[in-house]
Amino acid sequence: MTRHHPDSLSLMEYSAGNLSEPHALCIRLHLDKCTHCRSRVDTLDSLGAVMMEQQPKVSVSETMFDDILAKIDSTPAPEQPAKVVPKISLLQKLLGEDINNLPWKRQLGDVSVLDITEKFPGQKEQVVLQKLVAGGKAPAHTHRGTETTIVLQGAFADQKGVFNQWDFVVLTDQDEHKPVAVGCEDCITLSVLSAPVKLTGTFTRMLNPFIR
Amino acid sequence: MNKVTNINHATVKERPVTTLDQKPARAEGRKDPWSQLLVKVGKEQDRQAYHSLFEHFAPQLKYYAMANGMASHAEELVQEVFVSIWRRACLYDWQKAAASTWIFTIARNQRIDMLRKMRRTSAEMPVETEDLWQIPGEDDNQPVTSLHRLMSERRVRESLSQLPEDQITVIAKVYMEQKSHQMVADELNIPLGTVKSRVRLALSKLKVILQDQNV
Repeated sequence: MTRHHPDSLSLMEYSAGNLSEPHALCIRLHLDKCTHCRSRVDTLDSLGAVMMEQQPKVSVSETMFDDILAKIDSTPAPEQPAKVVPKISLLQKLLGEDINNLPWKRQLGDVSVLDITEKFPGQKEQVVLQKLVAGGKAPAHTHRGTETTIVLQGAFADQKGVFNQWDFVVLTDQDEHKPVAVGCEDCITLSVLSAPVKLTGTFTRMLNPFIR
Repeated sequence: MNKVTNINHATVKERPVTTLDQKPARAEGRKDPWSQLLVKVGKEQDRQAYHSLFEHFAPQLKYYAMANGMASHAEELVQEVFVSIWRRACLYDWQKAAASTWIFTIARNQRIDMLRKMRRTSAEMPVETEDLWQIPGEDDNQPVTSLHRLMSERRVRESLSQLPEDQITVIAKVYMEQKSHQMVADELNIPLGTVKSRVRLALSKLKVILQDQNV
Protein backbone atom coordinates (compact mmCIF):
# COMPACT_ATOMS: atom_id res chain seq x y z
CA MET A 1 0.00 0.00 0.00
CA THR A 2 1.45 3.29 -0.97
CA ARG A 3 1.35 6.12 1.50
CA HIS A 4 2.81 9.04 -0.37
CA HIS A 5 0.58 10.31 -3.15
CA PRO A 6 0.73 12.97 -5.85
CA ASP A 7 -1.00 16.18 -4.80
CA SER A 8 -4.35 17.17 -6.24
CA LEU A 9 -2.95 19.91 -8.42
CA SER A 10 -0.63 17.48 -10.19
CA LEU A 11 -3.42 14.98 -10.65
CA MET A 12 -5.53 17.71 -12.16
CA GLU A 13 -2.79 18.63 -14.63
CA TYR A 14 -2.49 14.95 -15.45
CA SER A 15 -6.21 14.59 -16.01
CA ALA A 16 -6.25 17.69 -18.18
CA GLY A 17 -3.44 16.19 -20.25
CA ASN A 18 -1.05 19.02 -19.49
CA LEU A 19 1.86 17.16 -17.97
CA SER A 20 5.01 16.33 -19.84
CA GLU A 21 5.44 12.68 -20.76
CA PRO A 22 7.98 11.88 -18.03
CA HIS A 23 5.76 13.45 -15.38
CA ALA A 24 2.74 11.62 -16.73
CA LEU A 25 4.74 8.40 -16.52
CA CYS A 26 5.39 8.93 -12.80
CA ILE A 27 1.70 9.54 -12.16
CA ARG A 28 0.63 6.61 -14.30
CA LEU A 29 2.97 4.20 -12.52
CA HIS A 30 1.55 5.36 -9.23
CA LEU A 31 -2.07 5.09 -10.40
CA ASP A 32 -1.51 1.52 -11.45
CA LYS A 33 -1.01 0.59 -7.82
CA CYS A 34 -3.13 3.12 -5.99
CA THR A 35 -6.92 2.79 -6.09
CA HIS A 36 -7.23 5.88 -3.95
CA CYS A 37 -5.58 8.13 -6.50
CA ARG A 38 -7.38 6.38 -9.34
CA SER A 39 -10.68 7.39 -7.89
CA ARG A 40 -9.41 10.95 -7.49
CA VAL A 41 -8.45 10.91 -11.17
CA ASP A 42 -11.88 9.52 -12.06
CA THR A 43 -13.44 12.54 -10.40
CA LEU A 44 -11.03 14.84 -12.20
CA ASP A 45 -11.76 13.22 -15.56
CA SER A 46 -15.43 13.84 -14.87
CA LEU A 47 -14.55 17.43 -14.09
CA GLY A 48 -12.96 17.64 -17.54
CA ALA A 49 -16.12 16.28 -19.12
CA VAL A 50 -18.35 18.70 -17.26
CA MET A 51 -16.08 21.65 -18.13
CA MET A 52 -16.25 20.67 -21.77
CA GLU A 53 -20.02 20.44 -21.60
CA GLN A 54 -20.30 23.94 -20.13
CA GLN A 55 -18.18 25.68 -22.73
CA PRO A 56 -19.50 27.20 -25.94
CA LYS A 57 -20.28 24.82 -28.78
CA VAL A 58 -18.92 25.19 -32.27
CA SER A 59 -20.79 23.66 -35.16
CA VAL A 60 -18.93 21.22 -37.33
CA SER A 61 -19.03 20.98 -41.10
CA GLU A 62 -22.20 19.48 -42.50
CA THR A 63 -20.48 16.63 -44.21
CA MET A 64 -18.47 15.52 -41.23
CA PHE A 65 -20.76 12.80 -40.02
CA ASP A 66 -20.91 11.24 -43.47
CA ASP A 67 -17.15 11.51 -43.75
CA ILE A 68 -16.81 9.66 -40.48
CA LEU A 69 -19.18 6.92 -41.58
CA ALA A 70 -17.24 6.59 -44.82
CA LYS A 71 -14.05 6.27 -42.88
CA ILE A 72 -15.49 3.65 -40.59
CA ASP A 73 -16.85 1.66 -43.52
CA SER A 74 -13.71 1.83 -45.58
CA THR A 75 -11.34 0.75 -42.86
CA PRO A 76 -12.61 -2.35 -41.16
CA ALA A 77 -11.96 -2.09 -37.48
CA PRO A 78 -8.66 -3.64 -36.59
CA GLU A 79 -9.80 -6.83 -34.95
CA GLN A 80 -11.11 -5.80 -31.56
CA PRO A 81 -9.51 -2.47 -30.72
CA ALA A 82 -7.57 -4.57 -28.39
CA LYS A 83 -8.53 -4.58 -24.82
CA VAL A 84 -4.85 -4.22 -24.43
CA VAL A 85 -3.78 -7.01 -22.23
CA PRO A 86 -0.27 -5.94 -21.52
CA LYS A 87 1.98 -8.93 -21.55
CA ILE A 88 4.78 -6.80 -20.33
CA SER A 89 4.61 -4.05 -17.82
CA LEU A 90 4.81 -0.42 -18.79
CA LEU A 91 8.25 -0.26 -17.24
CA GLN A 92 9.54 -3.18 -19.21
CA LYS A 93 8.12 -1.68 -22.35
CA LEU A 94 9.93 1.53 -21.58
CA LEU A 95 13.21 -0.01 -20.54
CA GLY A 96 13.24 -3.02 -22.83
CA GLU A 97 14.80 -5.01 -20.03
CA ASP A 98 14.15 -6.20 -16.55
CA ILE A 99 15.00 -3.39 -14.25
CA ASN A 100 17.73 -5.33 -12.51
CA ASN A 101 19.55 -6.16 -15.76
CA LEU A 102 20.05 -2.63 -16.94
CA PRO A 103 23.51 -1.25 -17.69
CA TRP A 104 23.71 0.63 -14.42
CA LYS A 105 26.57 3.06 -13.96
CA ARG A 106 28.10 3.00 -10.58
CA GLN A 107 28.54 6.43 -9.08
CA LEU A 108 29.53 6.77 -5.46
CA GLY A 109 29.88 3.69 -3.36
CA ASP A 110 26.27 2.73 -2.87
CA VAL A 111 24.68 4.58 -5.73
CA SER A 112 24.23 3.61 -9.38
CA VAL A 113 22.43 5.57 -12.04
CA LEU A 114 21.08 5.26 -15.51
CA ASP A 115 20.02 8.24 -17.56
CA ILE A 116 16.98 7.38 -19.68
CA THR A 117 16.21 10.88 -20.92
CA GLU A 118 16.61 9.68 -24.51
CA LYS A 119 13.47 7.58 -24.13
CA PHE A 120 11.52 10.83 -24.14
CA PRO A 121 12.62 12.67 -27.26
CA GLY A 122 11.54 16.27 -27.40
CA GLN A 123 10.84 16.56 -23.68
CA LYS A 124 12.65 19.08 -21.55
CA GLU A 125 13.21 17.14 -18.37
CA GLN A 126 16.01 14.82 -17.49
CA VAL A 127 14.83 11.33 -16.57
CA VAL A 128 17.05 9.19 -14.40
CA LEU A 129 16.87 5.81 -12.74
CA GLN A 130 18.74 5.57 -9.50
CA LYS A 131 19.70 2.58 -7.49
CA LEU A 132 20.81 2.55 -3.90
CA VAL A 133 22.05 -0.83 -2.73
CA ALA A 134 20.17 -2.42 0.13
CA GLY A 135 21.27 -0.75 3.33
CA GLY A 136 23.25 1.82 1.36
CA LYS A 137 23.42 5.55 1.93
CA ALA A 138 23.46 8.42 -0.49
CA PRO A 139 25.30 11.63 0.37
CA ALA A 140 23.31 14.62 1.57
CA HIS A 141 22.09 16.84 -1.22
CA THR A 142 19.50 19.39 -2.13
CA HIS A 143 17.73 19.91 -5.43
CA ARG A 144 17.75 22.77 -7.82
CA GLY A 145 14.35 23.12 -9.33
CA THR A 146 11.97 20.26 -8.79
CA GLU A 147 12.52 16.54 -8.72
CA THR A 148 9.61 14.16 -9.01
CA THR A 149 10.40 10.65 -7.90
CA ILE A 150 8.56 7.37 -7.82
CA VAL A 151 9.92 4.31 -6.02
CA LEU A 152 10.02 1.34 -8.38
CA GLN A 153 11.51 -1.22 -6.09
CA GLY A 154 12.51 -1.51 -2.43
CA ALA A 155 12.22 1.47 -0.12
CA PHE A 156 14.24 4.40 1.09
CA ALA A 157 14.05 6.55 4.17
CA ASP A 158 15.08 10.11 4.87
CA GLN A 159 14.21 12.77 7.43
CA LYS A 160 10.70 12.95 6.08
CA GLY A 161 9.80 9.33 6.38
CA VAL A 162 9.90 6.00 4.63
CA PHE A 163 9.11 5.78 0.94
CA ASN A 164 7.96 2.41 -0.26
CA GLN A 165 7.39 0.92 -3.65
CA TRP A 166 5.06 3.10 -5.79
CA ASP A 167 5.27 5.99 -3.37
CA PHE A 168 5.43 9.36 -5.02
CA VAL A 169 7.55 12.22 -3.80
CA VAL A 170 8.36 15.71 -5.03
CA LEU A 171 11.48 17.44 -3.78
CA THR A 172 12.35 21.07 -4.30
CA ASP A 173 15.31 23.28 -3.55
CA GLN A 174 13.97 23.58 -0.02
CA ASP A 175 14.56 19.94 0.69
CA GLU A 176 17.92 18.67 1.73
CA HIS A 177 17.93 14.96 2.28
CA LYS A 178 20.20 12.01 2.85
CA PRO A 179 18.39 8.90 1.74
CA VAL A 180 19.12 5.43 3.04
CA ALA A 181 17.88 2.26 1.37
CA VAL A 182 15.85 0.27 3.86
CA GLY A 183 14.71 -3.31 3.63
CA CYS A 184 16.55 -6.16 2.02
CA GLU A 185 16.17 -5.10 -1.59
CA ASP A 186 18.10 -2.53 -3.57
CA CYS A 187 16.04 0.61 -3.80
CA ILE A 188 15.36 1.75 -7.36
CA THR A 189 13.68 5.03 -8.16
CA LEU A 190 12.73 6.91 -11.27
CA SER A 191 13.23 10.65 -11.09
CA VAL A 192 12.21 13.44 -13.37
CA LEU A 193 14.43 16.45 -12.92
CA SER A 194 13.77 19.98 -13.93
CA ALA A 195 17.29 21.11 -12.97
CA PRO A 196 20.49 19.46 -11.76
CA VAL A 197 21.09 18.50 -8.15
CA LYS A 198 23.31 20.39 -5.82
CA LEU A 199 25.41 18.44 -3.36
CA THR A 200 25.67 19.79 0.11
CA GLY A 201 28.15 17.34 1.57
CA THR A 202 31.68 16.53 0.61
CA PHE A 203 30.91 14.70 -2.61
CA THR A 204 30.33 17.88 -4.48
CA ARG A 205 31.51 16.71 -7.84
CA MET A 206 29.28 13.71 -8.19
CA LEU A 207 26.03 13.44 -9.97
CA ASN A 208 23.50 10.82 -9.33
CA PRO A 209 19.87 10.12 -8.80
CA PHE A 210 19.70 10.13 -5.12
CA ILE A 211 21.90 13.08 -5.54
CA ARG A 212 20.41 14.91 -8.41
CA MET B 1 -20.06 -6.42 -23.21
CA ASN B 2 -17.58 -7.29 -20.62
CA LYS B 3 -19.00 -7.56 -17.18
CA VAL B 4 -17.00 -6.58 -14.22
CA THR B 5 -15.39 -9.80 -13.23
CA ASN B 6 -12.82 -8.75 -10.76
CA ILE B 7 -14.82 -6.92 -8.17
CA ASN B 8 -13.72 -8.07 -4.83
CA HIS B 9 -16.21 -9.94 -2.79
CA ALA B 10 -16.42 -7.64 0.16
CA THR B 11 -17.44 -4.84 -2.14
CA VAL B 12 -20.02 -6.93 -3.91
CA LYS B 13 -21.64 -7.90 -0.69
CA GLU B 14 -21.93 -4.35 0.46
CA ARG B 15 -23.24 -2.90 -2.76
CA PRO B 16 -24.37 -5.24 -5.45
CA VAL B 17 -23.11 -4.03 -8.78
CA THR B 18 -25.91 -3.84 -11.28
CA THR B 19 -25.22 -5.62 -14.49
CA LEU B 20 -26.59 -4.43 -17.78
CA ASP B 21 -29.34 -6.98 -17.68
CA GLN B 22 -30.77 -5.89 -14.38
CA LYS B 23 -32.70 -2.80 -13.54
CA PRO B 24 -30.40 -0.57 -11.57
CA ALA B 25 -31.60 -0.40 -8.03
CA ARG B 26 -30.32 3.03 -7.14
CA ALA B 27 -30.81 6.32 -8.85
CA GLU B 28 -27.12 7.02 -9.24
CA GLY B 29 -26.63 3.59 -10.73
CA ARG B 30 -28.81 4.46 -13.66
CA LYS B 31 -27.23 5.14 -16.98
CA ASP B 32 -27.58 8.68 -18.21
CA PRO B 33 -28.99 8.95 -21.77
CA TRP B 34 -25.56 9.39 -23.39
CA SER B 35 -24.19 6.35 -21.68
CA GLN B 36 -27.20 4.35 -22.85
CA LEU B 37 -26.56 5.44 -26.42
CA LEU B 38 -22.90 4.61 -26.17
CA VAL B 39 -23.71 1.14 -24.90
CA LYS B 40 -25.96 0.66 -27.92
CA VAL B 41 -23.17 1.67 -30.24
CA GLY B 42 -20.88 -0.81 -28.56
CA LYS B 43 -23.32 -3.70 -28.42
CA GLU B 44 -25.30 -3.29 -31.61
CA GLN B 45 -23.25 -0.92 -33.77
CA ASP B 46 -26.35 1.25 -33.65
CA ARG B 47 -25.75 4.10 -36.10
CA GLN B 48 -28.67 6.15 -34.97
CA ALA B 49 -27.36 6.15 -31.43
CA TYR B 50 -23.95 7.03 -32.83
CA HIS B 51 -25.46 9.94 -34.71
CA SER B 52 -27.16 11.25 -31.57
CA LEU B 53 -23.85 11.13 -29.75
CA PHE B 54 -22.26 12.98 -32.63
CA GLU B 55 -24.87 15.72 -32.57
CA HIS B 56 -24.35 16.22 -28.88
CA PHE B 57 -20.60 15.87 -28.50
CA ALA B 58 -19.07 16.98 -31.81
CA PRO B 59 -19.72 20.71 -31.20
CA GLN B 60 -18.22 20.40 -27.70
CA LEU B 61 -15.19 18.60 -29.06
CA LYS B 62 -14.68 21.17 -31.75
CA TYR B 63 -14.63 23.94 -29.19
CA TYR B 64 -12.21 21.89 -27.12
CA ALA B 65 -9.87 21.52 -30.08
CA MET B 66 -10.06 25.22 -30.91
CA ALA B 67 -9.62 26.40 -27.35
CA ASN B 68 -6.41 24.50 -26.93
CA GLY B 69 -4.73 25.91 -29.96
CA MET B 70 -5.44 23.19 -32.48
CA ALA B 71 -7.78 25.35 -34.53
CA SER B 72 -6.31 24.31 -37.85
CA HIS B 73 -6.78 20.68 -36.91
CA ALA B 74 -10.04 21.04 -35.04
CA GLU B 75 -12.21 19.13 -37.48
CA GLU B 76 -9.59 16.47 -37.86
CA LEU B 77 -9.51 16.01 -34.11
CA VAL B 78 -13.29 15.71 -33.88
CA GLN B 79 -13.26 13.12 -36.66
CA GLU B 80 -10.51 11.10 -35.09
CA VAL B 81 -12.27 11.14 -31.75
CA PHE B 82 -15.48 9.86 -33.33
CA VAL B 83 -13.79 7.13 -35.30
CA SER B 84 -12.13 6.12 -32.08
CA ILE B 85 -15.46 6.17 -30.22
CA TRP B 86 -16.93 3.82 -32.82
CA ARG B 87 -14.04 1.40 -32.62
CA ARG B 88 -13.76 1.37 -28.87
CA ALA B 89 -17.42 1.47 -27.97
CA CYS B 90 -17.40 -2.29 -27.45
CA LEU B 91 -14.93 -1.72 -24.62
CA TYR B 92 -17.03 0.94 -22.99
CA ASP B 93 -18.30 -0.07 -19.58
CA TRP B 94 -20.95 2.31 -18.28
CA GLN B 95 -20.27 1.09 -14.76
CA LYS B 96 -16.80 2.54 -14.92
CA ALA B 97 -17.41 5.94 -16.41
CA ALA B 98 -20.20 8.09 -17.75
CA ALA B 99 -20.13 8.45 -21.53
CA SER B 100 -19.14 12.10 -21.36
CA THR B 101 -16.18 11.30 -19.09
CA TRP B 102 -15.10 8.48 -21.35
CA ILE B 103 -15.35 10.70 -24.42
CA PHE B 104 -13.45 13.48 -22.69
CA THR B 105 -10.54 11.12 -21.99
CA ILE B 106 -10.54 9.91 -25.60
CA ALA B 107 -10.45 13.50 -26.83
CA ARG B 108 -7.67 14.38 -24.41
CA ASN B 109 -5.61 11.41 -25.56
CA GLN B 110 -6.27 12.10 -29.21
CA ARG B 111 -5.05 15.66 -28.77
CA ILE B 112 -1.92 14.52 -26.99
CA ASP B 113 -1.36 11.90 -29.64
CA MET B 114 -1.73 14.35 -32.50
CA LEU B 115 0.70 16.77 -30.89
CA ARG B 116 3.19 13.99 -30.22
CA LYS B 117 3.04 12.88 -33.83
CA MET B 118 3.49 16.42 -35.10
CA ARG B 119 6.63 16.98 -33.14
CA ARG B 120 7.93 13.45 -33.08
CA THR B 121 11.57 13.30 -33.87
CA SER B 122 12.97 10.43 -35.88
CA ALA B 123 13.46 8.45 -32.71
CA GLU B 124 10.57 6.10 -32.10
CA MET B 125 8.65 6.72 -28.91
CA PRO B 126 8.88 3.57 -26.86
CA VAL B 127 5.78 4.50 -24.88
CA GLU B 128 2.42 5.20 -26.44
CA THR B 129 0.04 7.91 -25.36
CA GLU B 130 -2.32 5.40 -23.84
CA ASP B 131 0.41 3.84 -21.79
CA LEU B 132 0.65 7.18 -20.05
CA TRP B 133 -2.94 8.42 -20.10
CA GLN B 134 -5.56 5.81 -19.61
CA ILE B 135 -9.14 5.59 -20.81
CA PRO B 136 -11.32 4.68 -17.82
CA GLY B 137 -12.44 1.08 -17.77
CA GLU B 138 -9.91 -0.20 -20.28
CA ASP B 139 -7.67 -2.00 -17.91
CA ASP B 140 -8.24 -5.23 -16.15
CA ASN B 141 -6.91 -4.50 -12.76
CA GLN B 142 -9.34 -1.88 -11.60
CA PRO B 143 -11.37 -3.47 -8.87
CA VAL B 144 -12.78 -0.10 -7.91
CA THR B 145 -16.48 -0.36 -7.48
CA SER B 146 -18.64 1.29 -10.05
CA LEU B 147 -21.15 3.29 -8.06
CA HIS B 148 -18.41 5.45 -6.78
CA ARG B 149 -17.53 6.39 -10.33
CA LEU B 150 -21.07 6.90 -11.43
CA MET B 151 -21.77 9.24 -8.63
CA SER B 152 -18.70 11.19 -9.31
CA GLU B 153 -19.92 12.88 -12.45
CA ARG B 154 -23.24 13.85 -10.98
CA ARG B 155 -21.52 15.12 -7.89
CA VAL B 156 -19.03 17.08 -9.96
CA ARG B 157 -21.80 18.77 -11.90
CA GLU B 158 -23.64 19.69 -8.73
CA SER B 159 -20.57 20.94 -6.90
CA LEU B 160 -19.40 22.90 -9.88
CA SER B 161 -22.63 24.83 -10.03
CA GLN B 162 -21.86 26.18 -6.58
CA LEU B 163 -18.35 27.36 -7.30
CA PRO B 164 -17.58 31.06 -7.74
CA GLU B 165 -16.77 32.24 -11.21
CA ASP B 166 -13.10 32.94 -10.51
CA GLN B 167 -12.49 29.30 -9.58
CA ILE B 168 -14.30 28.01 -12.63
CA THR B 169 -12.33 30.36 -14.88
CA VAL B 170 -9.06 28.96 -13.63
CA ILE B 171 -10.17 25.35 -14.01
CA ALA B 172 -11.48 26.03 -17.50
CA LYS B 173 -8.12 27.38 -18.56
CA VAL B 174 -6.36 24.31 -17.26
CA TYR B 175 -8.77 21.83 -18.88
CA MET B 176 -9.82 23.61 -22.02
CA GLU B 177 -6.81 25.70 -22.91
CA GLN B 178 -4.16 23.34 -21.58
CA LYS B 179 -2.56 26.07 -19.54
CA SER B 180 -0.28 25.35 -16.64
CA HIS B 181 -1.02 27.05 -13.35
CA GLN B 182 1.85 29.42 -14.04
CA MET B 183 0.48 30.35 -17.46
CA VAL B 184 -2.94 30.98 -15.96
CA ALA B 185 -1.37 33.26 -13.38
CA ASP B 186 0.48 35.20 -16.06
CA GLU B 187 -2.57 35.56 -18.21
CA LEU B 188 -4.91 36.70 -15.45
CA ASN B 189 -2.14 38.78 -13.96
CA ILE B 190 -2.53 37.29 -10.49
CA PRO B 191 0.06 35.55 -8.33
CA LEU B 192 0.70 31.84 -8.85
CA GLY B 193 -0.30 31.25 -5.23
CA THR B 194 -3.73 32.72 -5.91
CA VAL B 195 -4.25 30.42 -8.87
CA LYS B 196 -3.27 27.43 -6.80
CA SER B 197 -5.49 28.37 -3.91
CA ARG B 198 -8.46 28.84 -6.23
CA VAL B 199 -7.86 25.41 -7.68
CA ARG B 200 -7.47 23.91 -4.23
CA LEU B 201 -10.70 25.49 -3.04
CA ALA B 202 -12.51 24.11 -6.06
CA LEU B 203 -10.99 20.67 -5.69
CA SER B 204 -11.90 20.49 -2.06
CA LYS B 205 -15.50 21.22 -3.01
CA LEU B 206 -15.22 18.37 -5.42
CA LYS B 207 -13.81 16.19 -2.65
CA VAL B 208 -10.61 15.51 -4.52
CA ILE B 209 -8.69 17.18 -1.73
CA LEU B 210 -10.79 15.98 1.13
CA GLN B 211 -9.85 12.53 -0.02
CA ASP B 212 -6.21 13.49 0.42
CA GLN B 213 -6.76 13.91 4.11
CA ASN B 214 -8.39 10.57 4.59
CA VAL B 215 -5.34 8.66 3.48
